Amino acid sequence: MIEVHDLRKSYGPLEVLKGVSFSVEKGEVVVVLGPSGSGKSTLLRCINHLEDYESGEIRIDGASVGYNTGAHGRSAHSETINARLREQVGMVFQSFNLFPHRTAIENVMMGPVHVRGVAKREARAQAQVLLDKVGLAEKADQYPAKLSGGQQQRVAIARALAMQPKVMLFDEVTSALDPELVGEVLRVIRQLAQEGMTMIVVTHEIHFARDVADRIIFMDDGVIVEQGTPERILSTASAGRLKLFLRRYQGDYLAG
Amino acid sequence: MFTVLDSNLPYLLQGAVMTLWLSVAVVGLGTLLGIAMGILATTRSRLARAFVTGYIFVLRGIPVLVVMFLGYYAFPAFGLHVNAYVAVGLAQIVYLGAFVAEITRSSILSIPVGQIAAARSLGMRRPAILRQVILPQAARIAIAPLLNSALTAIKQTSYASVVGVWELTYAAREVVERTLAAFQIFLGVMVIYFLICYPLSLAARWSESRLSFAH
Repeated sequence: MIEVHDLRKSYGPLEVLKGVSFSVEKGEVVVVLGPSGSGKSTLLRCINHLEDYESGEIRIDGASVGYNTGAHGRSAHSETINARLREQVGMVFQSFNLFPHRTAIENVMMGPVHVRGVAKREARAQAQVLLDKVGLAEKADQYPAKLSGGQQQRVAIARALAMQPKVMLFDEVTSALDPELVGEVLRVIRQLAQEGMTMIVVTHEIHFARDVADRIIFMDDGVIVEQGTPERILSTASAGRLKLFLRRYQGDYLAG
Repeated sequence: MFTVLDSNLPYLLQGAVMTLWLSVAVVGLGTLLGIAMGILATTRSRLARAFVTGYIFVLRGIPVLVVMFLGYYAFPAFGLHVNAYVAVGLAQIVYLGAFVAEITRSSILSIPVGQIAAARSLGMRRPAILRQVILPQAARIAIAPLLNSALTAIKQTSYASVVGVWELTYAAREVVERTLAAFQIFLGVMVIYFLICYPLSLAARWSESRLSFAH
């Protein structure tokens, strides 16, 4: 469903993605691990074209993301096409990014009402179902400021799901949470995975990766160093850099 | 003790009416102009941003009195006959616009970029993002400074008297010249200006406490 081919992205003189290639099948859960600065977040943001990129190709369901590459070079897509694409790719952020001036349920309704033109009553009903799904039915009319981090993140997940995306991208969604709140968010993501949602999850939660991932991709310094099943990647930890990375979490990992 | 003030009060109040007209026009149109320019300053067009930046930069570097003199003499310089009130009023509108533009621009830019990213990732486009995410929050941030700049503009209408336009301060100086009762006249004028500005001051204070809680 998602194909990334030789993706290169630089911020000015700094090359952040140095030729990344991989694919994700429908219904697959791919977890991306790697140290800070390895380009994981940038990769996600290129996939839904929040960032543009210098060269390479990204395709979602065959449709090219951001650019049309032809015999005469490439031309950028209009903002309309990009926005349309983003309707189909849901994203959840490390810092939640809820709209503070709207209640939880209004946040969830934001996409359907203002992008798809769904009537408010219908949108509200659908939003209530989604909030219930993430375990926050009774918090519908609360403002984000009154919610804990874990609750805000679950609202953010519901908000992304409201657009019924084909793919969900999770960008270190538990990294900003207190440890005791991490579990409630991972539970929701795990449930989504079991329901067959295609997902790319960037995370530091190695236990979670082992339990939920169909495939793990390890990135470092802008390239994919290794990818494979959780069993192979985590148990045998072949390459030096991956070993180093896991050692940092080893205490954490071995304890579980 | 205030007999001179008493007897001249009607005349002064007529001046106050002109001040009120000027104030309403300047604050109303100047704020609208400034908000439009401020929003323009946040678009992707480099030309628009450069234009507004230049506008803000230049006008904030000139005293309002000089701008008002320029306005007063600009039209005759091009052979146009324009009512003095309109000329000076326009000058003040343009001047206030610069300050309001800067307030608007910085309020909009203060919205955390993560929210914009979230809105974009839902498929929202710029007009919807502006209307649903940015402006509701920016408006709350901007209200207090906007009310303050409105207050300043109202007080600055008194400079029109220096340029030669008849309003409250001009009327006051006429009366003082005639009666020499400077202190009581200007005391009265002070009270009148205060009464004109007071509602706005209250509104500014009220909005600060009520709206800043909203987040």
